[in-house]
Amino acid sequence: MTSTEAGALAPAPTQRKRPIGLLLVAVPVLLVLWLIIWPIISAVIQTLWLPTPDGGRSFSVSSYEFFVSDPYSRANLAITLWTTGVCAVLLLVICLPIALYLRFSNSKIAAYVQGLAIFPMFVPSIILSFAFIRVLGPNGTVDLLLNSVGLPKIKSPYLTPWGPVIGLVWDNIPLTVLILLSGLGNVSNQAIEAARDVGAGRFALLWHIILPRISNSILVAISFAVLGIFSAFTLPYVLGPAAPEMMGPFMQRTFRDLFDPTNAITQAVITFGFCIVFGLFYVRSVAKNRTP
Amino acid sequence: MKRRHFLISAAAISAGVTLMPRMTFAAEGVIDVYFTSDQNVIDFWTNVVKPKFEAANSGITLNLVDGGDGPGVAAIGDRALAALASGADPQADLFEGYDTRVNAGAIDKGLFVDFSTAGLSNYSKINPLANDIPTRLPYRGSQVLLAYDTTKLDPANVPKTWADLVTWIKANPGQFIYNRPNKGGSGGNFVRRAIFEANGNDPKKFTVDNFTPEFAEEALTPAWAMLNDLAPSLFESGAYTSGNTQSLQLLGQSAVTMIPAWSDQALSAIQQGVLPETTGLVQLQDLGLPGGFTYIAVLSNGANKDAALKLADFLLTEEIQSAILTELGGFPGVSWDYVAADLRTRFADIIPESIPTFPGGKWETAINDGWYRAVAPNVDPAS
Repeated sequence: MTSTEAGALAPAPTQRKRPIGLLLVAVPVLLVLWLIIWPIISAVIQTLWLPTPDGGRSFSVSSYEFFVSDPYSRANLAITLWTTGVCAVLLLVICLPIALYLRFSNSKIAAYVQGLAIFPMFVPSIILSFAFIRVLGPNGTVDLLLNSVGLPKIKSPYLTPWGPVIGLVWDNIPLTVLILLSGLGNVSNQAIEAARDVGAGRFALLWHIILPRISNSILVAISFAVLGIFSAFTLPYVLGPAAPEMMGPFMQRTFRDLFDPTNAITQAVITFGFCIVFGLFYVRSVAKNRTP
Repeated sequence: MKRRHFLISAAAISAGVTLMPRMTFAAEGVIDVYFTSDQNVIDFWTNVVKPKFEAANSGITLNLVDGGDGPGVAAIGDRALAALASGADPQADLFEGYDTRVNAGAIDKGLFVDFSTAGLSNYSKINPLANDIPTRLPYRGSQVLLAYDTTKLDPANVPKTWADLVTWIKANPGQFIYNRPNKGGSGGNFVRRAIFEANGNDPKKFTVDNFTPEFAEEALTPAWAMLNDLAPSLFESGAYTSGNTQSLQLLGQSAVTMIPAWSDQALSAIQQGVLPETTGLVQLQDLGLPGGFTYIAVLSNGANKDAALKLADFLLTEEIQSAILTELGGFPGVSWDYVAADLRTRFADIIPESIPTFPGGKWETAINDGWYRAVAPNVDPAS
């Protein structure tokens, strides 16, 4: 692997074997074990080791059986997967052109575009939700503008599955653009110029020179976006339909309104099962880049 | 900055950070009150309850904290439960608008004061309809009514019975929306009104103790059919907002013509201009939309428990209960005999002598779960 192909992280030093590095990572690793890994293990145990009527506990997969056999729960999982998939595709379609523009443009406007692309990061999602209702909701700003020039109203995405999709895509643009941009930093100008010299067109340039070099960043960007979207709460809760609901609001409702921690934790474990797949993608790509 | 200078200020900051938790310990004579209710209720406490109580009890002050919502204060409750186990200070004394059932096992462990044995002088005045479990003290009520846009619907033609309302909703598709029953009670009580309608309009048929899964199945199934029948005529052919505020927003944006809304919230929305002055309010005459009572809970391990109980007793006095009617637009938590006589006559025409109420407890979870499964997916059960 050439150095231009590697990720942003520097290769690990292989010569020194002092324990100082291990000591430095020990604190975060222990925190992760305590605050994340242990709750996961305990959640899995709690959902598999259920209380029995006589007061004891025994091994049972009944809460998982219920989830799988319950069409309502399955519909919620399906809408979560659908939302995540649609958001991931839309994010790529929107963010890749922005990132390409920011990487290859030398104009002054690029700085403003970058500022604008990062802006959603600073807007809390609850504020975004109510602004969304004001703008894209029924009789919102868009409708008023269309109406003033004599055009019909839009079909509002508020309270439909497209509501959370639009909100989540907007919310995730900054992170995706930043990750793609860091990946594009690995595409050298010389490589582009060399390809241009031998007559490569814009599409060939993108397909044969740029995309192969940033495929890793795309994977990382998508993994990050998917992890965030899968467990999103505020946007799907305020903007989405009452049913089917995404896993975030579903878990919260099961826990808080139905007083049913066992099923809520089961839903959380299942959600985690899907997320870990994307987490592994990310870990794998980082690990691959670090091997010299 | 010089290095020495830097070291001194860094040391001062870190010392301050270590000391900070000490400063947040509950102060003697300051009752920490956490609210789940909306801003209009906190304003009422700030402007009415706090000055009156502090004037009557010198040396005691109220610290009013907006807990956000139920889960927000439930987290404080969880913290208090942990503090109870370790004997620490929960840094909270009184919860407003609270269901003591949400902290698993807290009632059994004695986290909350049992008001029936707490010796409150005004305890006997409580409206029997409002009594729930002894760890919850009802101090105010509110009723859901219909808010509508008078520019689109002439007040002369406004529906006044459930049957008229159903006819109106079906004749004006897309003009009505109610919110999800578990998120803000305006939609929840609209759903409960449908349950009454499906069961002979008799609120006495449901009590907190007579819940059985079989009875719930029998009573709720026809109500779900009724609501499913309405769904295609609702806003966006069966959309449900996720809270009271979002419903008000849709009415304010003129996206719908009518919504169920809390009486007090609708009144303050009109006052503040969130809803236009052309908003009309109406109550069904055959059986009103149900209301609910708001309960307070007192922590048994709070540092100011005795002062908090004094406050709880104070809330039930005629002075505060009458102010709830006049200042807040709510209903008293005590029986009607214990509010000022002139108010009783003044409100007699507007407020029914009895507010239909629906019991909580297991009924609540059954309704929340049942509605999400049977009504929200918007599918015809017959198909």
